[in-house]
Amino acid sequence: MVVKSLERILYVEDEPDIRAVARLALEAVGGFNVCICDSGKAALDAVQAFSPDLILLDVMMPGMDGPSTLSALRQLPDLKETPIVFMTAKVQSAEVTRYRQQGAIDVIAKPFDPMTLSTTVRDIWNRHRG
Amino acid sequence: MKNLPDVTEQLRLLRENYAQQLPAKLAQVEDAFRQRDDLIELPNLRHLAHSLAGSGATFGYPALSVAARQLETLVDAALCDGRPLTPKESDSAAQLIETLAREARNPMVPAPAPILPASNVLETERKLIYLVEDDASLATDLSLQLGHFGYIVKIFETPTQLLETPVDPLLAAVLMDIVFPQGDLAGPEAIIQLSVARQLRTPVIFFSSRNDLTARLAAARAGGATYMVKPIDVGALIARLDNLVTDLPPEPYRVLIVDDNAPLASHHAVTLQSVGISTDIVTDPMKILAHLDDFKPDLVLMDMYMPGCTGAELAAVIRQLDNYVLVPIVYLSTETDTDRRLIAMQLGADDFLTKPITPEHLVSAVSTRLRRYRVLRSHIEQDSLTGLLNHAAAKDRLATETARAMRQQSCFCLAALDLDHFKNVNDTYGHLIGDGVLKNLAELLKRRLRRTDIVGRIGGEEFVVILPDTDTQQALHLMNELREAFSLVRQRASSDLTFTTTFSCGIAEYRLGANANDIHRLADQALYQAKLAGRNRVMLADSDEWREDDD
Repeated sequence: MVVKSLERILYVEDEPDIRAVARLALEAVGGFNVCICDSGKAALDAVQAFSPDLILLDVMMPGMDGPSTLSALRQLPDLKETPIVFMTAKVQSAEVTRYRQQGAIDVIAKPFDPMTLSTTVRDIWNRHRG
Repeated sequence: MKNLPDVTEQLRLLRENYAQQLPAKLAQVEDAFRQRDDLIELPNLRHLAHSLAGSGATFGYPALSVAARQLETLVDAALCDGRPLTPKESDSAAQLIETLAREARNPMVPAPAPILPASNVLETERKLIYLVEDDASLATDLSLQLGHFGYIVKIFETPTQLLETPVDPLLAAVLMDIVFPQGDLAGPEAIIQLSVARQLRTPVIFFSSRNDLTARLAAARAGGATYMVKPIDVGALIARLDNLVTDLPPEPYRVLIVDDNAPLASHHAVTLQSVGISTDIVTDPMKILAHLDDFKPDLVLMDMYMPGCTGAELAAVIRQLDNYVLVPIVYLSTETDTDRRLIAMQLGADDFLTKPITPEHLVSAVSTRLRRYRVLRSHIEQDSLTGLLNHAAAKDRLATETARAMRQQSCFCLAALDLDHFKNVNDTYGHLIGDGVLKNLAELLKRRLRRTDIVGRIGGEEFVVILPDTDTQQALHLMNELREAFSLVRQRASSDLTFTTTFSCGIAEYRLGANANDIHRLADQALYQAKLAGRNRVMLADSDEWREDDD
């Protein structure tokens, strides 16, 4: 089976600094087509038009946090299967297990290294599809 | 991957931006900490700590991330229990906040010493070359050879050494070998690393004894500008470097504006200057000759009707001067009568622009003619082998320079150069190799002399250099430097055979009342003396000759 290559990434993050560096890390370094939203609500508005291959969700955000954004996204017709990755500082194994149960395919530790973020994302994608 | 240097730069900017915002963020943390007993406000402290924890290391503050994470955890525990911080927790929190403040001043990647933007460095100073080569004798030799052409060379024995050195803002180019003991492609690999890690904005020239596709591909992937196979032809390397290191921006175009209406002339001047054209204004047409010699315009823009003489008459006068047979003359005029325009054109004008004229139209009409004139002039004036001025053009310049010196009572020197035993070079190695020697000398002269100096090749192996505003002692010193540098240039006869050659030189200084022929004759005589005295030397014209000449 041909593995579809990862091209479009939606990133949801409330911190402006992290949004800027993530855009650089994913667009300029990784060469991805990136849509960045500053809240779970903005993500719900943008996601269908952008139709991402993969979604990166910050876990702790004011208002809708990562897990609730994930649930809301899953309610949308085209997003039943879209792989979602949590971005979080809490990477103890118990928490990772819990995030997986909530429907995330993986967890990326924050703070991340902007030069390697794209590689990490691509690795997760390949493991998930392969 | 081609965007990487750009990414590094953007990342640096983001880091700077983050660093600038840190004090304000820390102030917010302290503020929230002061209100820690208010259970409504406490989540704010947790949020601020969380945000610092999740971003610090990304922007170069890993220890700040760690401390912020501890603060977040501590506050989170209290919030989960629905209680304020205990006194002990408050103490810990206060200590963690101090740690935050300390770490905020201490980024992990020591903020790279502010790198001078390239624009701060004068282009003419950018002659520093990094040479990465493990063969010490080759490195020393190349360094010496490049030194003769005005490059400063810093040698690195291994690619690792290069990687460990901060890039000098003056760096103009990197010369990189391909094969090192560290690996068969260690050179290109290091360049890729360097591009990733730092801002390598300079061109890279790869050279190697390898001539296979793998090596060439590796060099191309590393963004190499040129690939040269050893043994290195220094002449070819210099020519390539000169192209890459464009440290001689093109001379600006010069337009002479002749108009008795001074405000209007200034208006046109400002319009042309706005696109980088330099201008000179003549409001009294009777003074045009001096302006022609001093300013050496690439185009004359003139009003059709002026007091004293008409534009058409003035054009006819300009055309009488040998140097200005070609210069474009463009009229600015309200004249719409076709017959009168035709007459003016017959007297030597090239074009009519009808007043009033929009700035865009003026710029466009003038620019097109300027470009064509420069190309045309270069075809006519340049020696095709060396790109220097040819005999006729060099003589013209000498005449112009003499006239200027007389009028301004300034000085200049003329140096006449002749390669020593050049016939032997041609007879021994063939004319192609001889041509190479001529080109090398031309390159050396072009590189080492000032832009205002005028260099021409006036015969087979004869060159002249006009040095404006230079006295004999300065000229002697300069030409001796050039002579020594040239005598050390390794001329390549074949892949494994090199030789050196020299030139002799005679210098004459302009004296009041002398004409161009006098000066040239005296410089030639001094050159002859230098040859007689054993060649490879510089001689000054005998000042007695001047006295004899005066009689």
